[in-house]
Amino acid sequence: MNKQSRQAWTIFGLTAPAYFWLTITVLLPLTAMLYFSFLTATPIGGKEASFTLKHYIGFFEKHIYRYNAWRSIQLGLFVTSICLMLAYPAALGLAKVIKGRWREAIFLLIILPFWSNALVRTFSWTMVLREPFDILYTYPAIVIGLVHAYLPYAILTIYVSLQSIDDSLIEASRSLGATRWQAFYRIMLPLSMPGVLAGIFLIFVPVIGSFMEPRILGGKQAIMLGPIIESQFTALNNWPLGAALSFIMLAIVLIILGISTPLIKPYLEKSS
Amino acid sequence: MSRVDVEGATKNYGPLKALDGVTIHFTDGEFFGLLGPSGSGKTTLLRAIAGFVELDTGAISFDGERVEAVPVHRRGIGMMFQSYALFPHLTVNENIAFGLDVRGTPRDEIAHRVQEMLTLVRLPGLGGRKPKQLSGGQQQRVALARALITRPKVLLLDEPLGALDRRLRQEMQVELREIQRETGITAIFVTHDQEEALTLSDRIAIINDGRLMQTGKPQEVYENPVSVFAAQFLGDSNILRGAAIDGGLRLADGTMIGTSGPCGGVAIVRPEKISVQGGLGAARGNALRGDVLQAVYTGASVTYRIRTAALGDVPLLAFAQNQTGELLSPGSAVTASWDAAHTVPVTP
Amino acid sequence: MTRLAKIYLVAVLVFLYLPILVMMAMAFNRSALYEMPFTFDLVWFKALMENERLLQASWNSVWIAAVNAVIATALGTLAAYAFARYEFRLKGLLQLLLFPPITIPWLIIGISMLIFFFWVGIGRGLHAILLGHVALSLPYVIVVVGARLRDVSVQLEEAAATLGATPQQTFRRVTLPILAPGVIAAALFAFAVSFDQFVISYFLAAPGTSTLPVEIFTAIRKGFTPEINAISTIIILVSMSLMLLVARNYRFGGER
Repeated sequence: MNKQSRQAWTIFGLTAPAYFWLTITVLLPLTAMLYFSFLTATPIGGKEASFTLKHYIGFFEKHIYRYNAWRSIQLGLFVTSICLMLAYPAALGLAKVIKGRWREAIFLLIILPFWSNALVRTFSWTMVLREPFDILYTYPAIVIGLVHAYLPYAILTIYVSLQSIDDSLIEASRSLGATRWQAFYRIMLPLSMPGVLAGIFLIFVPVIGSFMEPRILGGKQAIMLGPIIESQFTALNNWPLGAALSFIMLAIVLIILGISTPLIKPYLEKSS
Repeated sequence: MSRVDVEGATKNYGPLKALDGVTIHFTDGEFFGLLGPSGSGKTTLLRAIAGFVELDTGAISFDGERVEAVPVHRRGIGMMFQSYALFPHLTVNENIAFGLDVRGTPRDEIAHRVQEMLTLVRLPGLGGRKPKQLSGGQQQRVALARALITRPKVLLLDEPLGALDRRLRQEMQVELREIQRETGITAIFVTHDQEEALTLSDRIAIINDGRLMQTGKPQEVYENPVSVFAAQFLGDSNILRGAAIDGGLRLADGTMIGTSGPCGGVAIVRPEKISVQGGLGAARGNALRGDVLQAVYTGASVTYRIRTAALGDVPLLAFAQNQTGELLSPGSAVTASWDAAHTVPVTP
Repeated sequence: MTRLAKIYLVAVLVFLYLPILVMMAMAFNRSALYEMPFTFDLVWFKALMENERLLQASWNSVWIAAVNAVIATALGTLAAYAFARYEFRLKGLLQLLLFPPITIPWLIIGISMLIFFFWVGIGRGLHAILLGHVALSLPYVIVVVGARLRDVSVQLEEAAATLGATPQQTFRRVTLPILAPGVIAAALFAFAVSFDQFVISYFLAAPGTSTLPVEIFTAIRKGFTPEINAISTIIILVSMSLMLLVARNYRFGGER
């Protein structure tokens, strides 16, 4: 066996196990779900099912689904913007103002909750929101819970991108006569865009797909696509509908990201 | 201690010819320098001898035995890397012992030979330290000890002194040479630093664009470059171009220049071979007259750039030894003269 | 400016930790309904010890997380090694395929697994949960180990080869020991990802047996029992300690 094919076999041997696993747990399931979304009923326990587009059509015909989808998008936009607005100053302070051991320590403290149990964190909000604030089971409660969950993520991505901006760039701009605000607006902000955009992508998508936080914190106010999809698989036992709605959710996410990418490209190009 | 022969080595990376039919013979026990600019192929050649690069065509032999099919770990070579590549998780002793360890050498023999090596590279007592606790120069010696302990057939060095500062570099050059002489090992090293190549090597080769430009003893290659490239890469030179005539060449303005051998129209003369005299008087040998454009005082010498009618826009470069402590000032008329024997014909 | 930054950051930290601290405090409060005054009591922790369901679920979470850590780390390390040392045509595609598990909402991933597993007969249950968790952990392991591999420069492996070590010897004596801190960090990461995972476990759990987060969710929805506070406190402390270990190991482990 010559060196070329020996190498090919080695590469195959190294990557195959992991990707085989991913195939049966992610790729095939997604394909199966796609197939399911075109069935009339859940084909389990001997039930007969045939091909139909009714679930997809139903999304466009029934007002309730579109309303829920819109609520999910709204939630996504709210949570993402609030996260970014709160995160940016924090990341800026951490990257440029605080120095030394403190910086590492605070950074770790901020990231730590994010990597701990999301369910428990959401649950912990139920205590605080019940009393003394008494806003549990309301829409704002959902927003607060989600912002709390994803804020560290936003701080992380923006911080990383700010960190990579050389201080000498700012100094150069000041020496050329820019005020602090100008230096920030013209130099730092554009160069930190990749971090901001990473944050947007990483927050927006999970928020649209969330159901745990809305259910726990919102109760009956959890009128969003996520909980609806979830209920198709628990209470309502309409898997094909759930599958179809899931793909619609994926499509919505892809469309929104797709629309925003051309708007974002100039920013990315400016900074590189 | 081996003889290494490379015949017709070719290596292409897509459209890029890294090695283009290189044939070169390394004698047993010599310290050989491969010199060339970045991307010239010198490192590719070294790595092909090591076994990291597989040649497209060509043969490599150690003592007459072909080794292209032999994998790296069985070639019996020793290699020093620019970054030293010391194993960070092992102590100095363990690093040095590594080559013997993987061969299953008995413990006490290993201990004995490691001590031998530490003495050879003058690092006694540092065996228990980790690489990061050592200075650059010390790490360098550990790398050398590690490579030599297995008594390899040939020692390959990939820009080994690149990371050191000037003084350390010069010290290490001397030590490297001494150790190589003591052990008698065949050493091939790659560098882009011409001074280093001239100082250390028994023979050097200039490589460019994957091709061998010139091989020979340092003095030979320096005094008699065969091409404009070799003349310019190793040291400085003044290039003289004109019409070929019997015994030399004639420059554009009619000046006749005598050369050391038959000339095809291009010759070079090195700046240090030229003497510069004030005034436009007579001179022996080849001479050009003009005025000083620039005189740079560098302590031990003065570098003159002289504008001449013969060479037009290109200034004549001359190094004058600072014997009197006085410079000829810019604007003054001077005569630059040198021996025909130092005017070397080259291929363009 | 520094003061302003510090104040703001403290405010952010307060926002992040307040509910958690309140919850932990309540776990030690005797009152079942958050009534003040605060009386320190371990009654809920004791009640926890008697709660069979929660204990069983905790045990499930732990062993699934452990097995997941081993499997994901093994598979991921091999793949990461391939990415770091070789160039090949499919590489870009394979690296792209690592994104779906982390970028697609877990809701959708969980549902699709549920559908597929039912269809092919794998069904629900702890084994299904394990399958799902490994898939989620793989991208993280590959990234963490991959980053560490970049530190193990190729020159070290080449040096070992010139000294006579076979590829296997090189891997065992040079690559693996230097890689170790990264591998350990990845394993701890995988453990934490699995231990904390809720959404996928929720869909793949069979009625009766599940993992801790799922049990907690069910308990929250049914009505509140203060043991939840106690177990939540324990979980949060475990997760955070794990992550601290990862941070330490990753940053300080191994030298250049």
